[in-house]
Amino acid sequence: MLKGKKLNLPDRLGSLLAGFEDKDGDSGGSGSALDLGEELEIIQPNRFRSGRESESDDEDGEVQEEAMVKRKLEVDEELEHHGRQPRHQKDGSDHISVVKTIEDDEKRSDIEYEISQKMINVGKLQRIVGTGLPDGGNLRPTVWKLLLGYLPPSRDLWEKELIENRQKYAKLKEELLLTPSELARIKEEALHSNEHNNADSGTDGPLIRHEISHEDHPLSLGKASVWHQYFEHIDIAEQIDRDLQRTHPEMKFFSGESSFSRRHRESMRNILLLFSKLNPAIRYVQGMNEVLAPIYYVFSTDTDVQNASNAEADSFACFVLLLSDSVDHFCEQLDNSSVGILFTLSRLAELLKANDEELWRHLEFTTKASLMEYYAFRWITLLLTQEFNLQSILRIWDSLLSNPFGVQEMLLRVCCAMLLCAKSRLLSGDFAANLRLLQHYPDIDIEHLLKVAQDISPDTSSFCLTL
Amino acid sequence: MVLVLALGDLHIPHRAADLPPKFKSMLVPGKIQHIICTGNLCIKEVQDYLKTLCPDLHITIGEYDEETRYPETKTLTIGQFKLGLCHGHQVIPWGDLDSLAMLQRQLDVDILVTGHTHQFTAYKHEGGVVINPGSATGAYSSITYDVNPSFVLMDIDGLRVVVYVYELIDGEVKVDKIDFKKTATTTHSAH
Repeated sequence: MLKGKKLNLPDRLGSLLAGFEDKDGDSGGSGSALDLGEELEIIQPNRFRSGRESESDDEDGEVQEEAMVKRKLEVDEELEHHGRQPRHQKDGSDHISVVKTIEDDEKRSDIEYEISQKMINVGKLQRIVGTGLPDGGNLRPTVWKLLLGYLPPSRDLWEKELIENRQKYAKLKEELLLTPSELARIKEEALHSNEHNNADSGTDGPLIRHEISHEDHPLSLGKASVWHQYFEHIDIAEQIDRDLQRTHPEMKFFSGESSFSRRHRESMRNILLLFSKLNPAIRYVQGMNEVLAPIYYVFSTDTDVQNASNAEADSFACFVLLLSDSVDHFCEQLDNSSVGILFTLSRLAELLKANDEELWRHLEFTTKASLMEYYAFRWITLLLTQEFNLQSILRIWDSLLSNPFGVQEMLLRVCCAMLLCAKSRLLSGDFAANLRLLQHYPDIDIEHLLKVAQDISPDTSSFCLTL
Repeated sequence: MVLVLALGDLHIPHRAADLPPKFKSMLVPGKIQHIICTGNLCIKEVQDYLKTLCPDLHITIGEYDEETRYPETKTLTIGQFKLGLCHGHQVIPWGDLDSLAMLQRQLDVDILVTGHTHQFTAYKHEGGVVINPGSATGAYSSITYDVNPSFVLMDIDGLRVVVYVYELIDGEVKVDKIDFKKTATTTHSAH
């Protein structure tokens, strides 16, 4: 019904413009007087999205999409200075939830359509997912796997890729995660199965001593010894265990003593331990558990049973893919280099300067220290997992993963947006207050935050957002 | 995978000054979960040193120990195995297998660890194992001067125990390995 209404109008942009003027005239209470059919006349931020989706059914929807987005931007500017709550909230929340459900349905069918293609158009998927994935319909696991590059765009290859990767993971686990005594047992069982049968026939008397090499015993100090390597990793394993206990303590999925959460912690432990063994340069750094948590959560809550049971293997691969461009942030030696965290922080500062010089100057000079390291370090290395609750993280990561220029680029924009959205409080605060604010970032409407982030352009010469 | 260190008969300071340096370099904290010591340390400093290697320390009294409050025998369960500990000077004849087997039945253990003879031995007897880790310092015994320093490390993994024997022969550390699997239906035959 909605789409029918749209197509009747000769000039889609014109109708929306007309709608916008309507809204200015509306008072808050008139929203409830409208029924579903007339929603599109009222211009609210969400409306643009549903308008955009009906466009995307056309193959040449590109141009119209761009135009719609620009229109949305201009409207948003007006809305932003009204603060965090977008104006449509005044119209009644049940109105909104119904509208949102319809949007979600549309978006879901769009995405399902996209991923059911034989050859998936990743660019298109990125654009749709950039506005967030709907919660129902179990799209997130598959979409994230596609966006991270774990699943290839060609649907036929999925089966093969998945099986191959899962097997690879199982093999890696076997090679690297067994304790040395288990390894020795397997080796010995293979070699001495005959001898063992004889010895077990109850003959008493002195036990046979077998000579072994200097590498093969638990107290061996040799570098090549399995035992030595095992003990070296014990410290890391303990650290990982401690961190896993503290991951998302409010969620039953991760914390608590049920066998359910224990299993999940066990899987995450395997993943992190394996990662540390495969990357001796970085090993394990506190916080990697937080980055792994959303990925593992999304994959194990996949309603497809086969996918959910292989969540560990898939999470490992996707975790590696996700960290591949930000792994240098974890390496202390690279801190001051051109790929290290300090350089990224300076990029964030530049971005802030380009978009809001007043705020930048306030943070840089008035409050003296380079605050960036105190709060943005955590934002960037942990991909914002410590700043928001899990649901918000999933939404933010939808945008991060779907950015065609990469996760890091979008991450910087979101961080900048976080600063911009807290601008008024930051400008009026001193060093201590600002630090407190930024280290415990206040609750904010995620959609609003992401919209601000979308609007930020890294190019200093053009689009400058002023609030 | 539980690592248990078994050693004893150090006789520090009376008959030996310290553990051989090659042994000391291998014994680092953090790897071993339990230490069982047959006795004759003899002074408290040795107990303190062993405690730094591992907090879970079990000692039985030997005839030259200065600390008189250690027990004569001790039993503990590690994994699927029951271990018994006794110095061995109480069992006469010293080192006699049948007499030690009596003690093993009395304590009802799978692995009996005793010392006093300062000679490493490992016997399988009636479904159980009797181990003598020897003297970790190579101190002379009541019987002989010719003693090689030795100790034992047991790796208990389910129903299987791997016994690593560390011996210092001619200044070089030699490591041997002994496998023992506990059959689930082991019973001690009554005599």
